[in-house]
Amino acid sequence: MKNRGATILAIIGAALLILPLVVHDTFVLRVLTEGVMWIGLAIAFDVIAGYTGYLNFGHGAFFGIGAYTIGILMMQANLPFWAALPAGGVAAAVVALIAGIPTLRLKGAYFAIATWALSRAIQQLALNVEFTGGPDGMRLEAFLNPQFFYYLMLITVGATFAILWYLLERAPFGLKLKAIREDEEGAKALGLNPTKLKMQSFVLSALPTGILGGIYAYWITFIDPSSTLGDLVSDQAVVMVVFGGMGTLFGPALGAILIFAFKTIFWAYLSDFQLLYLIILGALIAISVIFIPNGLWGTMFKRKADATRPQHQPEPASEPAALSAVAAPEEGN
Amino acid sequence: MMELLPQALTDGILLGGIYITIAIAFSLTYGVMHVIDFAVGEWIMFGAFTGYYLNKWTGLDPFLFLPVIFVLYFGVGYLIQPVIHRVLSGTKGNPFLMGLVFTFGLAIMFRGLALTAFGFYSNSIPSAFSEGSFDLEPLGLTVTIPTVRLVGLAYALAITLILHYLLKKTNFGLGVRALAQHKDAAGLMGVNSKRTGSYVYGIYVGISAMTGVLLGCILSIGAQMGNEYTIFAFFVVVLAGMGYLAGVPWAALLLGLVQSIFMIYFNPSHTLLAVFAILYIILLISPRGLFGKGV
Repeated sequence: MKNRGATILAIIGAALLILPLVVHDTFVLRVLTEGVMWIGLAIAFDVIAGYTGYLNFGHGAFFGIGAYTIGILMMQANLPFWAALPAGGVAAAVVALIAGIPTLRLKGAYFAIATWALSRAIQQLALNVEFTGGPDGMRLEAFLNPQFFYYLMLITVGATFAILWYLLERAPFGLKLKAIREDEEGAKALGLNPTKLKMQSFVLSALPTGILGGIYAYWITFIDPSSTLGDLVSDQAVVMVVFGGMGTLFGPALGAILIFAFKTIFWAYLSDFQLLYLIILGALIAISVIFIPNGLWGTMFKRKADATRPQHQPEPASEPAALSAVAAPEEGN
Repeated sequence: MMELLPQALTDGILLGGIYITIAIAFSLTYGVMHVIDFAVGEWIMFGAFTGYYLNKWTGLDPFLFLPVIFVLYFGVGYLIQPVIHRVLSGTKGNPFLMGLVFTFGLAIMFRGLALTAFGFYSNSIPSAFSEGSFDLEPLGLTVTIPTVRLVGLAYALAITLILHYLLKKTNFGLGVRALAQHKDAAGLMGVNSKRTGSYVYGIYVGISAMTGVLLGCILSIGAQMGNEYTIFAFFVVVLAGMGYLAGVPWAALLLGLVQSIFMIYFNPSHTLLAVFAILYIILLISPRGLFGKGV
């Protein structure tokens, strides 16, 4: 299973790498670039939501902060793109740190709605201050090279995936986060520091999101509060992760691919009914929660079996072993 | 600028009075169901639009429809709650997270529905009370009180008193308070958590919808108004301390004051920022609310 999975991943990775050499259609490349970006946004969202169990309904704020940081640094401070890009991630991480200090000490409900309120407040700020261009948005220097952006997005998302995979699925860090999700008091009793771990996971979730926002800004060359800081970014991240499967890395990626494909088709054929898309997103969230609470991935592979009960392995066992150990009693119910 | 202060304070208190009704119902639902309802602003918005269209079609005063709207939305809430209950009592995944996600999804869906049906424009609901106002000139104060805001305060007081009576003097209220204290123990004492939850959720949706009509008469209505009120409801509940009902009126009045002071002295479009800043500071200093009595 593990080897087959690795093989499949390698094939997908290789296919994605050589794709631009085969496909010359700019539209297709553009769609693929955005699809890859959404995979990155969804897995970054899942770090805090799925692994740590703290829902961030304002994930789009970090995306927008990254986009605006890069826009401002490039257009007003005249920094080159490569110098501005890390700053986008850092800015998002710093905002996560500041916002997380009071909210992450509290129960999940506070965090969920406080992050949501924060994203609304930041959007309002961007609409009302001078240096963001207000509601008119901001234009960036155009750099029209679709292949460049495709590879940049692919490398960023690939690196994010690899780092998160190591941290969350291989290193003890992932188990610590899961312990907090299952039982925060229990995790504390075991000597973990939940507040610190939650902060780390929140920052870890914000950092790649900010960088992706920055790449997006330079790629699209135009940002405004509704496209980068609006509800839609956060809402889509939520639906992708919930539909795909929380608490895994492949689930959100799968959700991102399916939802983004649906979105692309929907907007291509039904662009007159954009509001209908909002209704479908909301309905999809509600329906997923009722019928597939573990998401598509979790339902298909029953990986979420370890989500309902804490793991008792003293050290991170390899995935299949941990799976069979806890899944077996679950089957009997 | 100072001569505007009495007016700002009066407006704020009158507006805050209305927020009490939303916040109490919201807080009650949280107490019984232990889930934050992200759709609170959308219920307010739906109520406001129902009032708007009923007024348009019949030509009667929107205030006459308040009971109709309450009954209608009580029914809607009563029917939706079992679904939320099912999500919350699920065994797969994390039911609490799922409950939050579920109401978040509902809120997005409702907003989409409203934008589709009503468009992006904003309106206000005309009422017989909209025109008149009281002048406090004879008392030596340069304060004008629009009649509609005074009616709003009377409504808020009435709702608060009724809820107080319901909670403290009836068996139903006893059950609700027991459920808020300890769900399992309350169940053992014969409180039907499912049915009580449905009633509470129905009452909360009904009150939110009615309050939406008042807010539509006093301020304005629009399909996207819900966002703001969801944040307001949360603000009040956190400031009061989660689950601490007695703190709600004070927090609601504070919110009304913040809003009216920003409307008069600063840029009204910075209200949300101010609200968030206050929320942030309160959570930093006293996470259990202004009175330190939340959970």
